[in-house]
Amino acid sequence: MAKTSLDKKFDQIKKREEEKSFSTKKRSRIVSKFLNNRLAVFGLIIFTIIILASLFAPLLSPYDPMRVDLRSMRQAPSFDHWFGTDSTGRDVFTRVLFGGRVSIFIGLGSAILSAVVGIAVGCYAGYKGGWIDVIALRVSEIFMSFPQIILVLLLVSITGQSLFNLMAIFILTGWGGMYRLARARMLSLREEEYVQALRSFGLSTFTICYKHMLPNALSPIMVNITLSTAMFILTEAGLSFLGLGVPLNIPTWGNILNVAQDILILQNYWWMWGPVGLVISVFVLCVNFIGDGLRDSTDPSQQG
Amino acid sequence: MTTYIAQRLIIFFPMLLVISFLVYSGLELSPGDAVSHMISPELASTITAEQLDAMREAYGLNQSFITRYWIWLTSMVQGDMGYSMAGGVAISEIMVKTVPATLELSMVALFFSTILGCSLGVISALKRGSGTDNSLTVAGMAGVSIPEFFFGLVAILLFAIELKWLPVGGRLMPHYETVWDRIPNIVLPSLVLALMMTAGAMRYARSSMLDVLAREFITTARSKGMPEWRVNILHGFRVALTPVVVLIGFRLPLLIGGSTIIEQVYQWPGIGSMFIRSVRASDYPLVMTISLMYVFVVLTASLIIDVLTALIDPRVRLGKE
Repeated sequence: MAKTSLDKKFDQIKKREEEKSFSTKKRSRIVSKFLNNRLAVFGLIIFTIIILASLFAPLLSPYDPMRVDLRSMRQAPSFDHWFGTDSTGRDVFTRVLFGGRVSIFIGLGSAILSAVVGIAVGCYAGYKGGWIDVIALRVSEIFMSFPQIILVLLLVSITGQSLFNLMAIFILTGWGGMYRLARARMLSLREEEYVQALRSFGLSTFTICYKHMLPNALSPIMVNITLSTAMFILTEAGLSFLGLGVPLNIPTWGNILNVAQDILILQNYWWMWGPVGLVISVFVLCVNFIGDGLRDSTDPSQQG
Repeated sequence: MTTYIAQRLIIFFPMLLVISFLVYSGLELSPGDAVSHMISPELASTITAEQLDAMREAYGLNQSFITRYWIWLTSMVQGDMGYSMAGGVAISEIMVKTVPATLELSMVALFFSTILGCSLGVISALKRGSGTDNSLTVAGMAGVSIPEFFFGLVAILLFAIELKWLPVGGRLMPHYETVWDRIPNIVLPSLVLALMMTAGAMRYARSSMLDVLAREFITTARSKGMPEWRVNILHGFRVALTPVVVLIGFRLPLLIGGSTIIEQVYQWPGIGSMFIRSVRASDYPLVMTISLMYVFVVLTASLIIDVLTALIDPRVRLGKE
């Protein structure tokens, strides 16, 4: 029997299936869509460069970010000191690199941890409903009744300043948004047929909501994590600028900017605050680009 | 409609009560009490424990936590906000001085950001996908990415220090006589704040306008042979902007929260810089009163938004019942 064109097509499909080029198809569509977004790729590259630079800070700079050197204070940028030196002779470029470690750690860490808390509560409460959901909803409403910066400042005044406290405060103020997002997704997924099928199989609630439903809610959550990373980095910078964030002896981007409150430094020594402000802006912008790219590439209504 | 408003009000007051209790007990947990903050370090070594206890009794600090909360709450409701620990100034007096300054700044910023945000948003919707649209979107993202205080500092350096067009900060000077004298002071802080707020308004106006432009009455207007600008302005613009303006008008809580750091940068004597000062000085009565005032404003604003959206869109109130 001669092979028809349809047979040939089937052979091709079979061949491709054997090579397993189908299995990654869904992922590759999201990735390729993300890679087509020029801003998102640009953001990802700069984001990676800044993170790598702060991780390998000791290799990139011969200076110690904390060491005071009064002989070389307030020097303008030069070949030796790329971003100049500050009022106690510390190399600003080195401090920006080391400050990035703490600032990014706070931003990313708080975003991920508040996502973990928000999702853990939101998935279960959204799926189960009942009194847990009512309580969680009311508690999140309480946190959302404050303007964000006011709540953070209030909690700082209660707990006092430290790196650990700041992250705890960020998680406390940040979980509510994530909880509401996860809960809303769960409420709509709950009525899907596959969930009813799982329930009739007798699977436990935990398995259903964390193993089978959560992956379907993951893409808006990922987008939200990037956006809250950006927000936390900005909040940390603002708080430390006011002198109310991370204690001043730890270099963070906000703490480096703190000196700009002095009008003399603002006027005469631009390198002490200008470059670091620019680095924060660029980094947060890149995070926002990535978030936007993720949203566009994972949004099912734009899939095709 | 009345039942819907009643439902919202029933949530409103218990919420305020619970939050006030939480804030009160939170500050109770913080180290030290009012008496320990009143005594200067030099005095602390000479004062005896009995004297401290006598002081605590005089201020009513030996009563139980619940009693003190109740006393505080009832006097608060009667309009007696108590006294600031720094200098013993009546908190109500501080409020009367600082709230108008913040309102002034926020209103001007709101005005500029609404006009700018709406017009840019509409422009970018009309030219969807063009270079203008893309660069406005990127500019909007830059607007939410630059730390507001950094932007403020650059503006100070540029317009106040280098060009000397505008004052560095402050609100009132002794020699100011008319309202016109005060305008140079408000230009920088309000514009910086407005530019930071514009991004959100722009994004909202853009999507609302795109939404309207896709509707059938726009096609009808076009098919009647109406000039494009008339379709856009008279039909599209008007319909698209009503919800936007209502929502932007009630972004006030976001604005007064956002103005906190800007007030500090420009030495604007508003409620935000007062709050920062009270946090720095651990002036707990003031911290508590100001943060509760913010909560009151946010809850009131969200109540008004709920009622307004229910008025505009009947589905909201029917769905909830």
